[in-house]
Amino acid sequence: MITFRTTMGDFSIELDFDKAPLTAANFLQYAKDDYYTGTIFHRVINGFMVQGGGMNADMSQKETRDCIENEADNGLKNEIGTLAMARTGEPHSASSQFFVNVSDNGFLNHSGKNMQGWGYAVFGKVVEGMDVIEHIKGVETGNHAGHGDVPVDPIEITETVISEEYAAK
Amino acid sequence: MPVLFISDLHLSPERPAVSRAFLVFLQERAVKASALYILGDLFEAWIGDDDPSDLSLEIQTALRTLSDSGVPLYIQQGNRDFMLGKGFAVNTGAKMLGDEAIIQHYGHRALVMHGDSLCTDDIDYQRFRRKARNPVYRWLLAHLPLKRRQKLASDWRAKSMAANSNKASAIMDVNKEAVAAVMTKYKVDVLIHGHTHRPDRHKIDSVRGNLGGQSERIVLGDWENFGWALSLDKNGYNLESFAIDGVYN
Repeated sequence: MITFRTTMGDFSIELDFDKAPLTAANFLQYAKDDYYTGTIFHRVINGFMVQGGGMNADMSQKETRDCIENEADNGLKNEIGTLAMARTGEPHSASSQFFVNVSDNGFLNHSGKNMQGWGYAVFGKVVEGMDVIEHIKGVETGNHAGHGDVPVDPIEITETVISEEYAAK
Repeated sequence: MPVLFISDLHLSPERPAVSRAFLVFLQERAVKASALYILGDLFEAWIGDDDPSDLSLEIQTALRTLSDSGVPLYIQQGNRDFMLGKGFAVNTGAKMLGDEAIIQHYGHRALVMHGDSLCTDDIDYQRFRRKARNPVYRWLLAHLPLKRRQKLASDWRAKSMAANSNKASAIMDVNKEAVAAVMTKYKVDVLIHGHTHRPDRHKIDSVRGNLGGQSERIVLGDWENFGWALSLDKNGYNLESFAIDGVYN
């Protein structure tokens, strides 16, 4: 389990190392490197998802490792409370940024191995503190530094706690 | 099983995310509905039922799959896809509705329209509308060579995007008197329409005068970053929206 302490409360996630081995390992490595501490949830859209894991509080972009292969064809669905990787328009371009689905976003699921149909790889889910995510999704947002849907009051990850089981992986 | 109403998807090759969201909507939502009504402007442009484009074929195939699965499909022409015709209806299994149609489900009776004819304050548009509905103009347009019509449609889409003409601010809202007149004509307490890209539910004093009750005008939304659908079941109407954007770094 990985627990993120944020300025709006704590939430914990479990990763699916069986169905999304590459994505889960990639995410765990970022967590172990303490990469996510100090990043913010920079894109919050109620009824859709909350996204973070790549921007500092001043909205500067953090440097990432290489992109990973898209594992969206693993059968996991973008349902409420699941974690998936954000990316560019290119299917295999996820690095550190992730999002938590706050709706059942069926249109994000894999439907075919093409640009349109690749979808977004689900690799974990929130197991504790979903109320914190529910709280985050409702915050006031606006435009900031060329981005839309940015929370007016920054929501920052202040600490990353990794369980012993995950630390040993 | 609810009845679903949508409109103003403005499907075009330039916005693949919206087409994809629509295909998912058909597979996940519409297939469980007791009917699907599309109240105009399903397409951003429709050059004729012989359109051989990938988008046209993909969407018609998906609609055919839906109607073959037993979900009745009803479609109205919009001001963008006013050339949707019999060929499209045959390909998709849809029933084409007239500009003003009465629906009855779960004890609710309502008038459904695209809504462009209600924007009577927009004189220029109403002039265009009369032209577009003119059988001679339609015959001429339909008989232009395919290549010429394809060029027209692509020019039209480019112009429309450049002018942001699908933003609500660029579309005139409905005229209240026109709304009252058409609701009185059909003796309905509920009007459902699209076109204005101003999704909302408006309570209005009963336009049927002496009943003393309230009437309602329900406006469907256009699909861009969010999609919109109105559902009707035994609990009444519910206007909902859902995201159709991607999640980008």
